[in-house]
Amino acid sequence: MGMREFLAKRILQSFLMIFIVITLNFYLFRIMPGDPVDIMFNPAIGPEAKAIMMREMGLDKPISVQYVIYLNNLLHGKLGYSFLEHKSVMSAILERLPSTILLMLSANILAILLGIILGVVAAWKRGTTVDISSIIAALTLYSMPMFWLGGIMIIIFSVRLRMFPIFGIITPGVSYANVWEYIADVGRHLFLPMMSFGIGTFGGLFLVMRNTMVDAFTEDYTLTAKAIGLGNRTIIFKNVMRNAMLPVITIVSLRLGFMVGGAILTETVFSWPGVGLLIYRAVMAHDYQMLQGVFLVITVLVVLANLMADIIYGYADPRVRY
Amino acid sequence: MATKSGVRISLNLARRFIGFWSEYTKSRIGVFGLIIMLSFIAVSAPAPYLTTYSIKASEGNIYEVLKAPSSKHLLGTDELGRDMLTLVVYGGRISLLVGFLATIIAGVLGTLVGSVSGYFGGWVDDLLMRINDIFLVIPGLPLMIVLSALLGRGIWNIIFVIGILSWSGTCRVIRSQVMSVKEKSFIESARAAGAGDTWILTRHILPNVLPLIVAQMVVQVGGAVLSESALSFLGLGDPTHISWGMILHYAFSCGALSSGYWWYLLPPGICVALVVLAFSFMGYSLDRIINPRIRAR
Repeated sequence: MGMREFLAKRILQSFLMIFIVITLNFYLFRIMPGDPVDIMFNPAIGPEAKAIMMREMGLDKPISVQYVIYLNNLLHGKLGYSFLEHKSVMSAILERLPSTILLMLSANILAILLGIILGVVAAWKRGTTVDISSIIAALTLYSMPMFWLGGIMIIIFSVRLRMFPIFGIITPGVSYANVWEYIADVGRHLFLPMMSFGIGTFGGLFLVMRNTMVDAFTEDYTLTAKAIGLGNRTIIFKNVMRNAMLPVITIVSLRLGFMVGGAILTETVFSWPGVGLLIYRAVMAHDYQMLQGVFLVITVLVVLANLMADIIYGYADPRVRY
Repeated sequence: MATKSGVRISLNLARRFIGFWSEYTKSRIGVFGLIIMLSFIAVSAPAPYLTTYSIKASEGNIYEVLKAPSSKHLLGTDELGRDMLTLVVYGGRISLLVGFLATIIAGVLGTLVGSVSGYFGGWVDDLLMRINDIFLVIPGLPLMIVLSALLGRGIWNIIFVIGILSWSGTCRVIRSQVMSVKEKSFIESARAAGAGDTWILTRHILPNVLPLIVAQMVVQVGGAVLSESALSFLGLGDPTHISWGMILHYAFSCGALSSGYWWYLLPPGICVALVVLAFSFMGYSLDRIINPRIRAR
């Protein structure tokens, strides 16, 4: 199977998966106990608004017709209307996507760096105190509820030491003299959520990295490299790292689903105005159109990100394609 | 005849167990994990007999609201004047119950689907694995949130939701193991002797996969406890039952963070972390026994 065929197959699979997710998302919110009309609408919106929205979603028609209407709405980028945010679900998500991306990108870079560096060090010193204590530390951090770790950090660094703001992405009501002040303010707000997510999640990556590296260190080619007198640094970076990077790509792609969950929790603790906070607010207010819309968007994004990881993997490791 | 073979089987089991036990106790962190888990069960299970304060919302002491730890309340009190230590001891019951029951649901589902898929192969395998793919790809916590929000708040709903959404990993592991076991020669001889599929699956394959199932499930209990705490924290927990997640939820919603009530936040979180850690330690040790390749290093 060549690269082109591999690509075509994976893309087709992903589209099928997206279609299944859309269908699942549609039916989930309709087969649940209770009248779908009551589930989808908050009584507070009033009868006229309800009538308009019911017509738009076809809730007075049979479920198969509703499904077609739902698909059609999706094709036009319509995810429904959020009574809580007073705007369409799509625009609410688009508005908040950048802050989620900022948080997730920085926190994941931190987690990946921590995981890889500590993983290599632990594997190189396997069996020593350094190795054992870093395993225990990683497992301990991994065992803590992520939102709890965030809460503890807030109490210590924001409330007691007053080093960082407690919540949000910018200080409310402040006008900035220049763009650098703005960036500095966002950075101060970003620091704690980024640390709590990064420190709370690098454990899984660390363990995989360590185990792969231990495998690689005990492989014949490493012994050969040692025998011909190559230095430790050359062995680690030239021979071992290359082979160990593949599982890291897999783990990073497997992290995606996990990440989304972490984003919801972290954003909720720090009131970080991202997509995750939308989910929390929607759950609290029973804003089911918002919940349905956000769930669909993040699931589709995860499927697409998985596809991308697979394509990268396909290029990185020719064995996958054959 | 029947009793004789019964005795032989139980002797065999006992011997296997003793062998397993001596292997398990070699791992210090495995024993450590087991001790932590057993201590939590030993304290939480008889909670009503060990505690003197009430956990009923209406029976808190209104003169002792949000007090820091003292000799009277070793871990302080919450916003209703309830004793934190008592809440945490009771919380362990619900958190562990959710953890174990959800894991059992997930374990049974994963074993069932995984073994059928791995044993029969062909289109059955294809179909089941495509379904499994869906569950592997859809992010777990968001789907749990959506399902819990739609089903409503209740302890059984939480157990159900965590259980039916946590089987995909186990399923994969069991499937690949079943696939390798079914190629062994003793399966072929059983089939030659006229054994049917059900017989082979339950009598020959499952006993061989069992250690792996147990190891998988042990790690999952911790995951289920974490999931419960996350769902409860987000306001999807059962308000009529006190779990560690619910205590954390109340802590966050009464403003314990901005007011710096550290004693409200610390105990339930430490309990969750310790229990999850205990199960990962136990899982790690079981894994070493099951995969001798790791043991050799």
